[in-house]
Amino acid sequence: MPLTRTKFYSFTGVALSVGYVWLGYNQWAGAGQTPEVCLFKIATGYPCPSCGSTRSVHALLQAHWFQAMHWNPLGYVIASFLLVAPIWMLSDRLQHSASMYKAYQWVEQQLTKKQYAIPLILLVLANWIWNILKGN
Amino acid sequence: MDANKVDMFMMANSKFFDEQQLFQIRERLLTLDDNYWGKLQVMQLKDPTTALIISILIGTFGIDRFYIGDTGLGIAKLLTCGGFGIWTLIDWFIIMGAAREKNFEKMRVAVS
Repeated sequence: MPLTRTKFYSFTGVALSVGYVWLGYNQWAGAGQTPEVCLFKIATGYPCPSCGSTRSVHALLQAHWFQAMHWNPLGYVIASFLLVAPIWMLSDRLQHSASMYKAYQWVEQQLTKKQYAIPLILLVLANWIWNILKGN
Repeated sequence: MDANKVDMFMMANSKFFDEQQLFQIRERLLTLDDNYWGKLQVMQLKDPTTALIISILIGTFGIDRFYIGDTGLGIAKLLTCGGFGIWTLIDWFIIMGAAREKNFEKMRVAVS
């Protein structure tokens, strides 16, 4: 199904809510004390490229910048999204604009270009290898 | 467009679309000029079965979403360990439909 404007904002809203509830649960239970949710890790025993992101965001909340980088650098991306997206969504809502949706479409289009896609894929692969070596 | 050509196209590509969409596509193609034939031939449609296999094997990384052209959703899936595993499971059931829907959308753009 094509991601229409309404679906995009609904999906982002749901994703943000789940993200904040998950973070809250981790804060309450303690990072790393929650049940394993990564199917890949459960099935193979090896971490996926984003395993450790929750612990990374958790470390960022406590201003442990280097620890966050060590857990998973993707935590920075997720934390930025969790921080910026609600404000952007609210701003779009108040101004009856769709700037976030347009930005999403623009980024999606840019990422189909090889000059952006290949370095990003290599970065994710490098991060994944690092994740496996760390035993996240 | 010539009815034989249209039927040939439909037979070769029916697996890429939903059953309900086939009649609609056929009717639309019949109204088109022959110039569209070349455009239809080079159109790259995504195989729903391949999407399902990718989804089952490496859906946790969002590769299935990347494959059907949902780059943004693919990144979201990749960054969240496949949506905490739940999205991965859901996609096993809906990815074939999503692939067909994407193909239909591509077709709609190509013939408009």
